[in-house]
Amino acid sequence: MTKPLTFAVPKGRILDEALPVMARAGIVPEAGFHDKGNRALSFDTVGGDVRIIRVRAFDVATFVAHGAAQAGIVGSDVIEEFAYPELYAPVDLEIGHCRLSVAEPVATAGLPSAATHLRVATKYPNITRRHYEAQGVQAECIKLNGAMELAPSLGLSGRIVDLVSTGRTLKDNGLVETYEIMQVSARLIVNRAALKTDSRVAELVEKFRAVASGTSA
Amino acid sequence: MTDMNRDLLPEGLEDRLPRDAAAETRITRAVLDVMDGHGYDRVRPPLIEFEKSMAGRMAGVQPRRMFRFVDPASLRTLALRSDMTVQVGRIAATSLAAAPRPLRLCYAGQVVTIKGDGLDPTRERLQLGAELIGADSVEAAGEVVALAIEALEAAGARGLSVDFTLPDLVDTLAAGPLPLDPAKVEDVRRELDAKDAGGLKAAGGDAYLPLLYATGPLDRAIAKLAEVDAGGALASRIAGLRAIAARVGGRARITLDPTERHGFEYQSWFGFTIYAEGVRGAIGRGGTYRIRSSGDGGVDEPATGVSLYTDQLLDVLADGPERDLLFLPIGHDAAVAARLRAIGWRTVAALSDKDDPRALGCTHMLHGSEPRTL
Repeated sequence: MTKPLTFAVPKGRILDEALPVMARAGIVPEAGFHDKGNRALSFDTVGGDVRIIRVRAFDVATFVAHGAAQAGIVGSDVIEEFAYPELYAPVDLEIGHCRLSVAEPVATAGLPSAATHLRVATKYPNITRRHYEAQGVQAECIKLNGAMELAPSLGLSGRIVDLVSTGRTLKDNGLVETYEIMQVSARLIVNRAALKTDSRVAELVEKFRAVASGTSA
Repeated sequence: MTDMNRDLLPEGLEDRLPRDAAAETRITRAVLDVMDGHGYDRVRPPLIEFEKSMAGRMAGVQPRRMFRFVDPASLRTLALRSDMTVQVGRIAATSLAAAPRPLRLCYAGQVVTIKGDGLDPTRERLQLGAELIGADSVEAAGEVVALAIEALEAAGARGLSVDFTLPDLVDTLAAGPLPLDPAKVEDVRRELDAKDAGGLKAAGGDAYLPLLYATGPLDRAIAKLAEVDAGGALASRIAGLRAIAARVGGRARITLDPTERHGFEYQSWFGFTIYAEGVRGAIGRGGTYRIRSSGDGGVDEPATGVSLYTDQLLDVLADGPERDLLFLPIGHDAAVAARLRAIGWRTVAALSDKDDPRALGCTHMLHGSEPRTL
């Protein structure tokens, strides 16, 4: 069992906040990781038997769920969207805070609605469907990968479900947040079977747990 | 477009070609031999039963996961089996109701589900299992765990790891030491299962947080579980876990995850999952449960069992020992060939002069009464 552990991190928003947390847990990527010109996707770490892969947030969950990576960092929005039973999210890293919300055009927001069928543009079709199902509403989800805010003004959908941190993008596009579905923060995730069969994964969880409780206390 | 897909197999179903089928036969035989050796008698229930009898025998069985259709004879709904444990439970509660207890039964057969499980699209599996009916004591659990490990070792699995769990732990705690609003129990169980500390707080299960940390290697996890143990409600369970672990000895790595519920639909106080080196996901699962009586004032019966799903072992073990194959040319002496087969040779008889022994994978050729290496 000398194969290095693979640790998946998401590109973008969460990564900048995650790197210091990872460093305190003893995972420091090699210099090439920070080189913008470097096209590599897989990186060594300083002095550890951990390899880091940098992929899209949704793919972090997929790699870890399939056991191709043993651990990773990803937002609770992604964990909830996939709801993979193979994923454990043992540590709330208390970083990357935002919320997943419903937003509607300012003009129609707040109007009473008795619709049993809605069209929603979102990157999170599963969460959206579950959210509306709980209210007895069929949500027809139009899956977009970005720029959700355009959908209502172009008539693609009546509302959107998307991540909101400051609300600035919504405002600039004539939308207003009408309902908060969930609070989001970044979590350490590990593969269920890996945690139970490889003691290094459990040690990793302990390290991150110590770091997280240190920062929040 | 129409005919192109004629030979396509449906999602999650596959053929086992000779190499895999041979390995599967070896595994099945090895596992059943071990179970037979420990006094477990084989039973062979049918592939299809009434949905009602499959669904009603144990709490938590989901008929939604079964292939179902209407029986033209009885006009009742039939289901293809998705778990043979339920069928063995039926046998124990009906035909073998009068048999002395504890009753030891084993079985092997294909099971199908209408949908794959999570990330795994497989819909047909080989299930090998043993059920010890009439007991769900620590001794019964110890016997079944040890039996499962011995069977898997015989099948060729290496680097075994057993994860213990306490399936009814949350219900026990919620009813006593750590009271919980019944409406919240399901949410708390879900977040505990996902090991999601943040989600658990959000679901109102703060008091249950320490359970998340009571996972890992058995001794360490038990120490932490004992700290949570408000009022000693878990003392007997902890003692039970230690006794079962002692039965295993050093033959497998043992971990504890008291709140694992993945795959434990009907287990009661004790459950376990077995992992093997090189195999992604679990290879076996078992625990204690109760078989519902057939009604009419009967009583539920305790039982302990294990199911092994060895399909994934094939990837690790498919290359079995190289076997000799003897080519019998046209006009060979049939009596000689029969004698050689009787002492263990595998033979391939030529049908025409054009048959090429090497191309057919033969290692030897029969010359007169003597096999010679090719």
